[in-house]
Amino acid sequence: MEKRINVHHVTRVEGHGNIVVEIKDGQVETCMFEVVETPRFFEAMLKGRTYQEASHITSRICGICATGHATASLRASEKALGVELSEQGWLLRKLTFHGEILDSHILHVYMLIAPDFLGVGSVIPLVSSHPEVVLRALRMKKLSGDLCAAITGRHTHPIAMTVGGFTHFPKASELKDLRQRLVDSRVDYQATVDLFASLPWPQFERDTEYVSLQKPDEYAFIDGDMVTTDGGRYAAEDYLKLTNEYLVPHSSAKWTRHKRDSYMVGSLARFNNNYNQLHPKAKDAAAKFGMKPKITNPYLNSAAQVIEIVHCIEDSIEIIDTLLSKGVKAEKPTPATRMPGEGVGTAEVPRGLLIHHYNIGEDGLMTDANCIIPTNQNIANLELDMKALVPQIMDQPADKMTLGLEMLVRAYDPCISCSVHVLRVGETR
Amino acid sequence: MPALQESKNNCTTLVVGLGNTLQCDDGLGVRAVEMLVDRDLPPDVIAEAPGTPGVGLINIMEGWSRVYIIDAAHLGKQPGTWRRFEPDEVRLIASEGLYSLHETEVADVLALSEAVGLLPDEVILYGMQPECIAWGEQLSLAVQTALPHLVDHIYHDLWKRKG
Repeated sequence: MEKRINVHHVTRVEGHGNIVVEIKDGQVETCMFEVVETPRFFEAMLKGRTYQEASHITSRICGICATGHATASLRASEKALGVELSEQGWLLRKLTFHGEILDSHILHVYMLIAPDFLGVGSVIPLVSSHPEVVLRALRMKKLSGDLCAAITGRHTHPIAMTVGGFTHFPKASELKDLRQRLVDSRVDYQATVDLFASLPWPQFERDTEYVSLQKPDEYAFIDGDMVTTDGGRYAAEDYLKLTNEYLVPHSSAKWTRHKRDSYMVGSLARFNNNYNQLHPKAKDAAAKFGMKPKITNPYLNSAAQVIEIVHCIEDSIEIIDTLLSKGVKAEKPTPATRMPGEGVGTAEVPRGLLIHHYNIGEDGLMTDANCIIPTNQNIANLELDMKALVPQIMDQPADKMTLGLEMLVRAYDPCISCSVHVLRVGETR
Repeated sequence: MPALQESKNNCTTLVVGLGNTLQCDDGLGVRAVEMLVDRDLPPDVIAEAPGTPGVGLINIMEGWSRVYIIDAAHLGKQPGTWRRFEPDEVRLIASEGLYSLHETEVADVLALSEAVGLLPDEVILYGMQPECIAWGEQLSLAVQTALPHLVDHIYHDLWKRKG
């Protein structure tokens, strides 16, 4: 038996990656996920800029995770400069972060994942075959975009978030309006859960190490320890002990590993580590999928995203209630208490753990920066999944096998263009 | 910074600058909007630079009667060359994906917007040929030279079409 699968630029993912599989005489000779993007130089772009500019620059690294990058960037600067956020500042950060998780997850499950299950090549044919599905997706996406815009001015460039707080504050009337729309969207999230729970998810199991942030009192999206299902626990500052970046010849993105050959970050990792802290209605959604930790089927990362959609909508309603009961005040951002400084900011962006590590000089200019992106951390795990999957499906016709592999890549929701960034000359990591 | 919807009162025309300013000429749409808002725009016009909203562009365009989009486009011409696509051409782009853009997938977004009936009546697209879309914050000389002319054209068009 001889088979060759070469998917050049897998569609419905961010950026360019190739699947290369070669089978000869019933043996898998090659099985790779190639990352062929041009390296990015965003760390170099940060050097010599003011710390106040860093979040605005890094928010442009990714059109989908603008708020996520801005948040990790601000946390890095705030930790470096000894800046404490107010309670209101935290609530607003969490609320806008939920907006971005919702925006990204809705896009991913409806526009990028659903077409595979509904037998179409893209979301466009769904408009005629399943119009209610597409309109629901756009309605939910609009709500999440409006949520971000109300807090940060604009989703794809969150200009109102700054070191120490915010420069723009939502009015009570805006929050009440958003709250009502979030409450109304329960119908939409329920329909989303019902739709995705009814899909025939591919059966494939491969246990790995699942890595995410964890906090004692909430389902962690910003700050917290980095924990793993193999028992690792690290403070943000010790991230290098977790990530252990290395290079492989066929990928321009750096790979990572911890206790095993690879680890996984993202919704499924968060679900496996922090299931107990999900909102009860999100746990109800998980029950509809029949999911409880530990889930080892990587395709179900998308199902975990649906569960997080429920969590983020419900938690957003609760955050808005707290903001409304306390009243939103126009606070000045908290100032820096020291300079120079060094800090590591962490956030669970839609695709998983994001790390920004900054050194800020005594003049407030950035002297060094390092960013570790979720997709980087996932690529080794994805390739090992592919290696385990191929022998199980190699008897299938090539087109079916290709679809199974493409769906696996899409399940990781990779942001390949974000993951590619070069080593600095002389770097020893 | 008010949310877009809030500032929409009585405005009918939206100008949208697309692209990533960290990728040299890819950000020319954003730069064009920055130049436009420095000028005295008609009172019914709002200019915004959402950057790289992807599918979110559908929601951004929703409810406006006239939308101008400014973006980098592979036109197969000299860098800095720009072209105006009239609403009929935009509908054609939307239905047949004739227009190739770097990463932003505007054609797909327009197609989806058209398919769900959310495409504004009048979408006018300005595409300019980029020279460099690598990582960096500088526009190429060709785009730097051509952009003020494009901005000038749009500015006069906005006044001519006012109301």
